[in-house]
Amino acid sequence: MNETHPVPEAELHAYADGLLDETGRKRVEAHLAENPETARMVADWQAQNDGLRNAFAGYATTRPSDLLLVAGAKSPRAPRHSALAAAAVLVFALGGLAGHFGPALFEKPPAQTAIEALPHEARNAYLIYASEVRHPVEVFADQEAHLATWLGKRLSIADMKVPNLQTLGFKLVGGRLLPVADKPGAMFMYENETGQRITVLIGRNEDNRETSFRVAAADNVETFYWIDGALGYAVTGDIPRDLLQQIAEECYRQFPT
Amino acid sequence: MSPSPDQPKKPEDGRREGIASPPPSFDAQILALLPQLRRYSRSLTRSDAESDDLLQDCVEKALVNRAQWRGANIRAWAYRIMTNLHLNARRAVARRPSVGIEEAEGVVSNVLATDPLERNRLVRALEDLPDDARAVLMLVAVEGHSYQEVAGIMEIPLGTVMSRLSRARQMLRQKLQEENVIHLRSPR
Repeated sequence: MNETHPVPEAELHAYADGLLDETGRKRVEAHLAENPETARMVADWQAQNDGLRNAFAGYATTRPSDLLLVAGAKSPRAPRHSALAAAAVLVFALGGLAGHFGPALFEKPPAQTAIEALPHEARNAYLIYASEVRHPVEVFADQEAHLATWLGKRLSIADMKVPNLQTLGFKLVGGRLLPVADKPGAMFMYENETGQRITVLIGRNEDNRETSFRVAAADNVETFYWIDGALGYAVTGDIPRDLLQQIAEECYRQFPT
Repeated sequence: MSPSPDQPKKPEDGRREGIASPPPSFDAQILALLPQLRRYSRSLTRSDAESDDLLQDCVEKALVNRAQWRGANIRAWAYRIMTNLHLNARRAVARRPSVGIEEAEGVVSNVLATDPLERNRLVRALEDLPDDARAVLMLVAVEGHSYQEVAGIMEIPLGTVMSRLSRARQMLRQKLQEENVIHLRSPR
Protein backbone atom coordinates (compact mmCIF):
# COMPACT_ATOMS: atom_id res chain seq x y z
CA MET A 1 0.00 0.00 0.00
CA ASN A 2 1.16 3.48 -0.75
CA GLU A 3 0.83 5.27 2.57
CA THR A 4 0.93 8.73 1.03
CA HIS A 5 -2.41 8.12 -0.70
CA PRO A 6 -4.49 6.21 1.79
CA VAL A 7 -7.81 5.28 0.23
CA PRO A 8 -10.46 3.79 2.49
CA GLU A 9 -12.13 0.63 1.24
CA ALA A 10 -15.50 2.35 1.10
CA GLU A 11 -14.05 4.64 -1.53
CA LEU A 12 -12.82 1.69 -3.57
CA HIS A 13 -16.35 0.30 -3.58
CA ALA A 14 -17.75 3.66 -4.57
CA TYR A 15 -15.21 3.76 -7.40
CA ALA A 16 -16.19 0.30 -8.61
CA ASP A 17 -19.85 1.35 -8.50
CA GLY A 18 -19.26 4.59 -10.38
CA LEU A 19 -20.43 6.68 -7.45
CA LEU A 20 -17.41 8.99 -7.19
CA ASP A 21 -16.99 12.44 -8.65
CA GLU A 22 -14.09 13.37 -10.92
CA THR A 23 -11.73 14.24 -8.05
CA GLY A 24 -12.49 11.05 -6.19
CA ARG A 25 -12.06 8.94 -9.31
CA LYS A 26 -8.64 10.45 -10.00
CA ARG A 27 -7.52 9.90 -6.43
CA VAL A 28 -8.55 6.25 -6.54
CA GLU A 29 -7.01 5.72 -9.96
CA ALA A 30 -3.71 7.15 -8.75
CA HIS A 31 -3.85 4.77 -5.82
CA LEU A 32 -4.68 1.78 -8.00
CA ALA A 33 -1.86 2.60 -10.37
CA GLU A 34 0.59 2.10 -7.53
CA ASN A 35 -1.15 -0.90 -5.97
CA PRO A 36 -1.61 -3.61 -8.55
CA GLU A 37 -3.04 -6.10 -6.07
CA THR A 38 -5.77 -3.65 -5.06
CA ALA A 39 -6.28 -2.78 -8.72
CA ARG A 40 -6.92 -6.46 -9.53
CA MET A 41 -9.42 -6.67 -6.70
CA VAL A 42 -11.33 -3.60 -7.85
CA ALA A 43 -11.28 -4.86 -11.43
CA ASP A 44 -12.77 -8.13 -10.20
CA TRP A 45 -15.52 -6.23 -8.39
CA GLN A 46 -16.31 -4.36 -11.58
CA ALA A 47 -16.40 -7.60 -13.53
CA GLN A 48 -18.78 -8.97 -10.88
CA ASN A 49 -21.00 -5.94 -11.33
CA ASP A 50 -21.12 -6.37 -15.08
CA GLY A 51 -21.69 -10.08 -14.80
CA LEU A 52 -24.50 -9.68 -12.30
CA ARG A 53 -26.19 -6.93 -14.27
CA ASN A 54 -26.09 -9.04 -17.38
CA ALA A 55 -27.19 -12.16 -15.57
CA PHE A 56 -30.42 -10.60 -14.39
CA ALA A 57 -31.11 -7.93 -17.01
CA GLY A 58 -33.36 -10.26 -18.95
CA TYR A 59 -35.77 -10.50 -16.07
CA ALA A 60 -36.61 -6.80 -16.13
CA THR A 61 -39.53 -7.31 -18.48
CA THR A 62 -43.22 -6.73 -18.47
CA ARG A 63 -45.47 -9.73 -18.76
CA PRO A 64 -49.05 -10.14 -19.89
CA SER A 65 -49.88 -11.19 -16.35
CA ASP A 66 -48.67 -7.91 -14.84
CA LEU A 67 -52.10 -6.33 -14.84
CA LEU A 68 -53.47 -9.43 -13.22
CA LEU A 69 -50.81 -9.17 -10.55
CA VAL A 70 -51.63 -5.59 -9.70
CA ALA A 71 -55.36 -6.07 -10.11
CA GLY A 72 -55.32 -7.68 -6.79
CA ALA A 73 -54.71 -10.12 -4.10
CA LYS A 74 -58.16 -11.55 -4.77
CA SER A 75 -57.03 -13.54 -7.76
CA PRO A 76 -55.90 -17.10 -7.21
CA ARG A 77 -52.33 -17.69 -8.21
CA ALA A 78 -52.28 -21.34 -9.11
CA PRO A 79 -53.45 -21.11 -12.75
CA ARG A 80 -50.82 -18.52 -13.54
CA HIS A 81 -47.96 -20.75 -12.54
CA SER A 82 -49.20 -23.81 -14.34
CA ALA A 83 -49.78 -21.81 -17.50
CA LEU A 84 -46.30 -20.36 -17.25
CA ALA A 85 -44.79 -23.74 -16.65
CA ALA A 86 -46.55 -25.23 -19.65
CA ALA A 87 -45.42 -22.36 -21.83
CA ALA A 88 -41.90 -22.70 -20.53
CA VAL A 89 -41.81 -26.37 -21.51
CA LEU A 90 -42.98 -25.45 -24.98
CA VAL A 91 -40.35 -22.76 -25.36
CA PHE A 92 -37.74 -25.18 -24.12
CA ALA A 93 -38.76 -27.72 -26.72
CA LEU A 94 -38.80 -25.17 -29.51
CA GLY A 95 -35.48 -23.75 -28.39
CA GLY A 96 -33.96 -27.19 -28.43
CA LEU A 97 -35.25 -27.88 -31.90
CA ALA A 98 -34.07 -24.55 -33.17
CA GLY A 99 -30.67 -25.32 -31.80
CA HIS A 100 -29.92 -22.17 -29.88
CA PHE A 101 -30.27 -23.07 -26.27
CA GLY A 102 -28.99 -19.94 -24.60
CA PRO A 103 -31.19 -17.15 -25.87
CA ALA A 104 -34.21 -19.30 -26.54
CA LEU A 105 -34.18 -20.61 -23.02
CA PHE A 106 -33.90 -17.24 -21.55
CA GLU A 107 -36.70 -15.61 -23.43
CA LYS A 108 -39.67 -15.28 -21.17
CA PRO A 109 -42.41 -17.42 -22.59
CA PRO A 110 -45.64 -15.68 -23.45
CA ALA A 111 -47.79 -16.73 -20.52
CA GLN A 112 -50.89 -17.29 -22.55
CA THR A 113 -52.04 -17.13 -26.10
CA ALA A 114 -53.65 -13.84 -27.00
CA ILE A 115 -57.14 -15.31 -26.98
CA GLU A 116 -56.58 -16.61 -23.47
CA ALA A 117 -54.98 -13.42 -22.28
CA LEU A 118 -57.62 -11.11 -23.68
CA PRO A 119 -60.45 -11.72 -21.20
CA HIS A 120 -57.98 -11.66 -18.30
CA GLU A 121 -56.49 -8.41 -19.37
CA ALA A 122 -59.87 -6.92 -20.14
CA ARG A 123 -61.11 -7.90 -16.71
CA ASN A 124 -58.09 -6.48 -14.98
CA ALA A 125 -58.18 -3.25 -16.93
CA TYR A 126 -61.80 -2.98 -15.87
CA LEU A 127 -61.00 -3.70 -12.22
CA ILE A 128 -58.20 -1.17 -12.14
CA TYR A 129 -59.73 1.67 -14.05
CA ALA A 130 -63.50 1.42 -13.71
CA SER A 131 -63.21 2.19 -10.01
CA GLU A 132 -60.87 5.13 -10.56
CA VAL A 133 -62.56 8.36 -9.62
CA ARG A 134 -60.03 10.99 -10.59
CA HIS A 135 -58.35 9.63 -13.69
CA PRO A 136 -60.09 6.61 -15.11
CA VAL A 137 -58.89 7.58 -18.59
CA GLU A 138 -56.01 9.47 -20.16
CA VAL A 139 -58.05 11.32 -22.77
CA PHE A 140 -61.57 12.35 -21.97
CA ALA A 141 -64.65 12.21 -24.17
CA ASP A 142 -64.44 15.89 -25.03
CA GLN A 143 -61.50 14.98 -27.29
CA GLU A 144 -63.06 11.98 -28.94
CA ALA A 145 -61.57 12.67 -32.37
CA HIS A 146 -58.09 13.01 -30.93
CA LEU A 147 -58.63 9.85 -28.91
CA ALA A 148 -59.57 7.86 -32.01
CA THR A 149 -56.62 9.15 -34.03
CA TRP A 150 -54.12 8.66 -31.24
CA LEU A 151 -55.14 5.12 -30.32
CA GLY A 152 -55.70 4.23 -33.96
CA LYS A 153 -52.13 5.20 -34.69
CA ARG A 154 -50.75 3.16 -31.79
CA LEU A 155 -52.68 0.08 -32.88
CA SER A 156 -52.15 0.62 -36.60
CA ILE A 157 -55.87 0.89 -37.24
CA ALA A 158 -56.39 3.38 -40.05
CA ASP A 159 -59.99 4.26 -39.34
CA MET A 160 -60.33 3.65 -35.65
CA LYS A 161 -63.83 4.46 -34.49
CA VAL A 162 -64.90 4.91 -30.92
CA PRO A 163 -68.14 2.95 -30.59
CA ASN A 164 -71.22 5.01 -29.84
CA LEU A 165 -73.30 3.28 -27.17
CA GLN A 166 -75.77 6.07 -26.46
CA THR A 167 -78.75 4.01 -27.62
CA LEU A 168 -77.94 1.53 -24.86
CA GLY A 169 -77.65 4.28 -22.28
CA PHE A 170 -73.85 4.41 -22.07
CA LYS A 171 -71.89 7.58 -22.70
CA LEU A 172 -68.19 7.67 -23.47
CA VAL A 173 -66.00 8.68 -20.53
CA GLY A 174 -62.76 8.52 -22.52
CA GLY A 175 -59.94 6.16 -23.29
CA ARG A 176 -56.39 5.18 -22.58
CA LEU A 177 -53.47 3.25 -23.98
CA LEU A 178 -52.83 -0.07 -22.26
CA PRO A 179 -50.53 -3.02 -22.78
CA VAL A 180 -52.51 -5.94 -24.18
CA ALA A 181 -50.40 -9.06 -24.49
CA ASP A 182 -47.32 -6.81 -24.37
CA LYS A 183 -48.45 -4.72 -27.31
CA PRO A 184 -50.18 -1.36 -27.40
CA GLY A 185 -53.88 -1.75 -26.80
CA ALA A 186 -56.78 0.64 -26.51
CA MET A 187 -59.34 0.90 -23.76
CA PHE A 188 -62.54 2.89 -23.99
CA MET A 189 -64.67 3.49 -20.95
CA TYR A 190 -68.39 4.21 -20.85
CA GLU A 191 -70.74 5.16 -18.06
CA ASN A 192 -74.52 5.11 -17.73
CA GLU A 193 -76.73 7.50 -15.79
CA THR A 194 -76.44 5.53 -12.58
CA GLY A 195 -72.64 5.63 -12.78
CA GLN A 196 -72.15 1.99 -13.83
CA ARG A 197 -69.14 1.61 -16.06
CA ILE A 198 -68.16 -0.76 -18.82
CA THR A 199 -64.89 -0.96 -20.72
CA VAL A 200 -64.07 -1.91 -24.28
CA LEU A 201 -60.58 -3.24 -24.87
CA ILE A 202 -58.87 -3.65 -28.24
CA GLY A 203 -55.61 -5.50 -28.73
CA ARG A 204 -53.66 -6.42 -31.80
CA ASN A 205 -52.03 -9.77 -32.42
CA GLU A 206 -50.90 -10.66 -35.89
CA ASP A 207 -50.93 -14.35 -35.09
CA ASN A 208 -54.64 -14.44 -34.44
CA ARG A 209 -57.04 -15.65 -37.03
CA GLU A 210 -59.87 -16.75 -34.84
CA THR A 211 -63.34 -15.31 -34.95
CA SER A 212 -65.81 -16.35 -32.35
CA PHE A 213 -67.87 -14.75 -29.69
CA ARG A 214 -67.05 -15.88 -26.19
CA VAL A 215 -67.88 -14.97 -22.66
CA ALA A 216 -65.77 -15.17 -19.52
CA ALA A 217 -67.07 -14.48 -16.05
CA ALA A 218 -65.47 -14.15 -12.65
CA ASP A 219 -67.31 -12.87 -9.61
CA ASN A 220 -69.80 -10.45 -11.03
CA VAL A 221 -67.54 -9.13 -13.74
CA GLU A 222 -68.21 -10.52 -17.18
CA THR A 223 -66.31 -10.14 -20.41
CA PHE A 224 -67.55 -10.72 -23.93
CA TYR A 225 -64.69 -11.08 -26.34
CA TRP A 226 -63.96 -12.00 -29.89
CA ILE A 227 -61.11 -11.98 -32.34
CA ASP A 228 -61.54 -10.47 -35.74
CA GLY A 229 -58.52 -10.88 -37.93
CA ALA A 230 -55.54 -9.50 -36.08
CA LEU A 231 -57.64 -7.54 -33.64
CA GLY A 232 -59.10 -8.82 -30.41
CA TYR A 233 -62.01 -7.08 -28.74
CA ALA A 234 -63.31 -7.41 -25.20
CA VAL A 235 -66.28 -5.78 -23.53
CA THR A 236 -66.24 -5.95 -19.75
CA GLY A 237 -68.68 -4.83 -17.11
CA ASP A 238 -70.50 -5.59 -13.91
CA ILE A 239 -73.98 -5.30 -15.42
CA PRO A 240 -76.61 -7.86 -16.43
CA ARG A 241 -75.32 -10.25 -19.05
CA ASP A 242 -78.11 -9.48 -21.51
CA LEU A 243 -77.21 -5.82 -21.53
CA LEU A 244 -73.50 -6.55 -21.77
CA GLN A 245 -74.14 -8.81 -24.72
CA GLN A 246 -76.16 -6.12 -26.46
CA ILE A 247 -73.26 -3.74 -25.95
CA ALA A 248 -70.80 -6.27 -27.30
CA GLU A 249 -72.97 -6.85 -30.35
CA GLU A 250 -73.30 -3.12 -30.88
CA CYS A 251 -69.51 -2.73 -30.73
CA TYR A 252 -69.10 -5.62 -33.13
CA ARG A 253 -71.42 -3.88 -35.60
CA GLN A 254 -69.63 -0.57 -35.28
CA PHE A 255 -66.03 -1.69 -35.45
CA PRO A 256 -64.76 -1.84 -39.03
CA THR A 257 -64.11 -5.37 -40.19
CA MET B 1 -57.86 41.49 -40.19
CA SER B 2 -55.14 40.27 -37.89
CA PRO B 3 -55.94 37.79 -35.17
CA SER B 4 -56.51 39.25 -31.79
CA PRO B 5 -53.44 39.05 -29.56
CA ASP B 6 -55.71 38.43 -26.62
CA GLN B 7 -57.00 35.24 -28.08
CA PRO B 8 -56.20 32.47 -25.64
CA LYS B 9 -53.59 30.07 -26.87
CA LYS B 10 -54.82 26.62 -27.57
CA PRO B 11 -52.84 23.75 -26.21
CA GLU B 12 -50.79 22.24 -28.97
CA ASP B 13 -51.07 18.78 -30.28
CA GLY B 14 -54.28 17.97 -28.48
CA ARG B 15 -52.54 17.69 -25.15
CA ARG B 16 -54.17 19.31 -22.18
CA GLU B 17 -51.07 21.21 -21.24
CA GLY B 18 -52.78 23.91 -19.24
CA ILE B 19 -54.07 21.35 -16.80
CA ALA B 20 -51.63 19.69 -14.49
CA SER B 21 -52.05 16.03 -15.31
CA PRO B 22 -53.01 14.04 -12.24
CA PRO B 23 -50.25 11.94 -10.74
CA PRO B 24 -50.31 8.33 -11.88
CA SER B 25 -52.42 6.16 -9.62
CA PHE B 26 -50.83 3.97 -7.00
CA ASP B 27 -51.66 0.88 -9.04
CA ALA B 28 -50.13 2.40 -12.15
CA GLN B 29 -46.92 3.22 -10.32
CA ILE B 30 -46.61 -0.30 -8.98
CA LEU B 31 -47.33 -1.63 -12.44
CA ALA B 32 -44.52 0.50 -13.86
CA LEU B 33 -42.10 -0.82 -11.23
CA LEU B 34 -42.84 -4.48 -11.94
CA PRO B 35 -40.00 -5.11 -14.42
CA GLN B 36 -37.29 -3.91 -12.04
CA LEU B 37 -38.95 -5.61 -9.08
CA ARG B 38 -39.06 -8.80 -11.11
CA ARG B 39 -35.35 -8.51 -11.81
CA TYR B 40 -34.56 -7.80 -8.17
CA SER B 41 -36.76 -10.68 -7.06
CA ARG B 42 -34.93 -13.10 -9.34
CA SER B 43 -31.55 -11.82 -8.21
CA LEU B 44 -32.42 -12.58 -4.59
CA THR B 45 -33.93 -16.00 -5.09
CA ARG B 46 -32.81 -19.35 -6.35
CA SER B 47 -35.35 -20.22 -8.99
CA ASP B 48 -37.88 -18.63 -11.32
CA ALA B 49 -40.77 -20.06 -9.31
CA GLU B 50 -39.42 -18.70 -6.04
CA SER B 51 -38.89 -15.37 -7.73
CA ASP B 52 -42.46 -15.26 -9.05
CA ASP B 53 -43.79 -16.01 -5.59
CA LEU B 54 -41.70 -13.29 -3.99
CA LEU B 55 -42.81 -10.76 -6.58
CA GLN B 56 -46.44 -11.67 -6.09
CA ASP B 57 -46.15 -11.49 -2.30
CA CYS B 58 -44.46 -8.11 -2.61
CA VAL B 59 -47.17 -6.68 -4.87
CA GLU B 60 -49.90 -8.03 -2.63
CA LYS B 61 -48.27 -6.54 0.43
CA ALA B 62 -47.76 -3.20 -1.29
CA LEU B 63 -51.41 -3.09 -2.31
CA VAL B 64 -52.66 -4.10 1.12
CA ASN B 65 -50.39 -1.59 2.85
CA ARG B 66 -50.89 1.24 0.40
CA ALA B 67 -52.09 3.42 3.28
CA GLN B 68 -48.61 3.20 4.82
CA TRP B 69 -47.00 4.66 1.77
CA ARG B 70 -46.11 8.28 2.60
CA GLY B 71 -46.34 9.53 -0.92
CA ALA B 72 -42.61 9.80 -1.50
CA ASN B 73 -40.30 7.44 -3.34
CA ILE B 74 -42.57 4.52 -4.00
CA ARG B 75 -39.62 2.74 -5.62
CA ALA B 76 -37.56 2.59 -2.43
CA TRP B 77 -40.68 1.65 -0.51
CA ALA B 78 -41.41 -1.27 -2.84
CA TYR B 79 -37.80 -2.45 -2.67
CA ARG B 80 -37.99 -2.35 1.11
CA ILE B 81 -41.11 -4.51 1.12
CA MET B 82 -39.51 -7.07 -1.13
CA THR B 83 -36.23 -7.12 0.79
CA ASN B 84 -37.99 -7.60 4.12
CA LEU B 85 -40.29 -10.30 2.79
CA HIS B 86 -37.37 -12.19 1.38
CA LEU B 87 -35.05 -11.92 4.37
CA ASN B 88 -37.85 -12.81 6.79
CA ALA B 89 -38.84 -15.82 4.73
CA ARG B 90 -35.25 -16.99 4.50
CA ARG B 91 -34.79 -16.60 8.24
CA ALA B 92 -37.93 -18.58 8.90
CA VAL B 93 -37.21 -21.44 6.56
CA ALA B 94 -34.22 -23.68 6.72
CA ARG B 95 -31.87 -23.19 3.80
CA ARG B 96 -33.14 -25.02 0.82
CA PRO B 97 -30.76 -26.63 -1.62
CA SER B 98 -29.73 -24.25 -4.34
CA VAL B 99 -31.28 -24.24 -7.74
CA GLY B 100 -30.09 -26.67 -10.35
CA ILE B 101 -28.03 -25.47 -13.26
CA GLU B 102 -30.97 -26.10 -15.59
CA GLU B 103 -32.79 -23.24 -14.03
CA ALA B 104 -29.76 -21.06 -13.79
CA GLU B 105 -29.63 -21.39 -17.56
CA GLY B 106 -32.26 -18.74 -17.57
CA VAL B 107 -29.72 -15.99 -17.33
CA VAL B 108 -27.70 -14.10 -19.86
CA SER B 109 -24.36 -12.52 -19.25
CA ASN B 110 -21.71 -11.27 -21.54
CA VAL B 111 -18.91 -10.09 -19.34
CA LEU B 112 -18.25 -12.42 -16.52
CA ALA B 113 -18.58 -14.00 -19.69
CA THR B 114 -20.38 -14.46 -22.90
CA ASP B 115 -19.52 -17.95 -21.83
CA PRO B 116 -22.51 -19.75 -20.29
CA LEU B 117 -20.17 -21.66 -18.02
CA GLU B 118 -18.86 -18.44 -16.53
CA ARG B 119 -22.38 -17.16 -16.16
CA ASN B 120 -23.42 -20.27 -14.30
CA ARG B 121 -20.36 -20.07 -12.13
CA LEU B 122 -21.28 -16.55 -11.09
CA VAL B 123 -24.90 -17.40 -10.37
CA ARG B 124 -23.88 -20.48 -8.43
CA ALA B 125 -21.35 -18.49 -6.44
CA LEU B 126 -24.18 -16.21 -5.33
CA GLU B 127 -25.86 -19.11 -3.61
CA ASP B 128 -23.18 -19.19 -0.96
CA LEU B 129 -23.59 -15.57 0.05
CA PRO B 130 -25.47 -14.72 3.23
CA ASP B 131 -28.91 -13.45 2.21
CA ASP B 132 -28.44 -9.99 3.68
CA ALA B 133 -25.09 -9.49 1.95
CA ARG B 134 -26.54 -10.75 -1.32
CA ALA B 135 -29.41 -8.28 -1.04
CA VAL B 136 -26.99 -5.38 -0.55
CA LEU B 137 -24.90 -6.42 -3.53
CA MET B 138 -27.95 -6.81 -5.78
CA LEU B 139 -29.39 -3.47 -4.73
CA VAL B 140 -26.09 -1.78 -5.53
CA ALA B 141 -24.78 -3.68 -8.54
CA VAL B 142 -27.95 -4.72 -10.34
CA GLU B 143 -30.57 -2.23 -9.19
CA GLY B 144 -28.26 0.78 -9.14
CA HIS B 145 -29.11 2.17 -5.71
CA SER B 146 -26.69 4.43 -3.84
CA TYR B 147 -25.30 3.18 -0.53
CA GLN B 148 -27.47 5.70 1.29
CA GLU B 149 -30.58 4.42 -0.50
CA VAL B 150 -29.68 0.86 0.41
CA ALA B 151 -29.34 1.91 4.05
CA GLY B 152 -32.85 3.35 3.81
CA ILE B 153 -34.32 0.34 2.04
CA MET B 154 -32.84 -2.16 4.48
CA GLU B 155 -33.15 0.13 7.47
CA ILE B 156 -29.57 -0.43 8.54
CA PRO B 157 -26.69 2.00 9.18
CA LEU B 158 -24.48 3.02 6.26
CA GLY B 159 -21.53 1.25 7.90
CA THR B 160 -23.46 -2.01 7.84
CA VAL B 161 -24.23 -1.52 4.16
CA MET B 162 -20.52 -1.13 3.47
CA SER B 163 -19.47 -4.14 5.51
CA ARG B 164 -22.09 -6.36 3.86
CA LEU B 165 -21.11 -5.12 0.42
CA SER B 166 -17.47 -5.80 1.20
CA ARG B 167 -18.25 -9.26 2.50
CA ALA B 168 -20.36 -10.13 -0.55
CA ARG B 169 -17.67 -8.99 -2.98
CA GLN B 170 -14.82 -10.73 -1.22
CA MET B 171 -16.76 -13.98 -0.89
CA LEU B 172 -17.77 -13.87 -4.51
CA ARG B 173 -14.23 -13.16 -5.61
CA GLN B 174 -12.82 -15.95 -3.54
CA LYS B 175 -15.46 -18.38 -4.71
CA LEU B 176 -14.87 -17.57 -8.36
CA GLN B 177 -11.12 -17.87 -7.99
CA GLU B 178 -11.43 -21.22 -6.26
CA GLU B 179 -13.81 -22.56 -8.84
CA ASN B 180 -11.63 -21.42 -11.63
CA VAL B 181 -9.28 -24.28 -10.89
CA ILE B 182 -9.82 -27.14 -13.28
CA HIS B 183 -9.21 -30.48 -11.64
CA LEU B 184 -7.67 -32.89 -14.09
CA ARG B 185 -8.21 -36.56 -13.75
CA SER B 186 -5.28 -38.28 -12.19
CA PRO B 187 -3.01 -39.73 -14.88
CA ARG B 188 -3.45 -43.36 -15.72
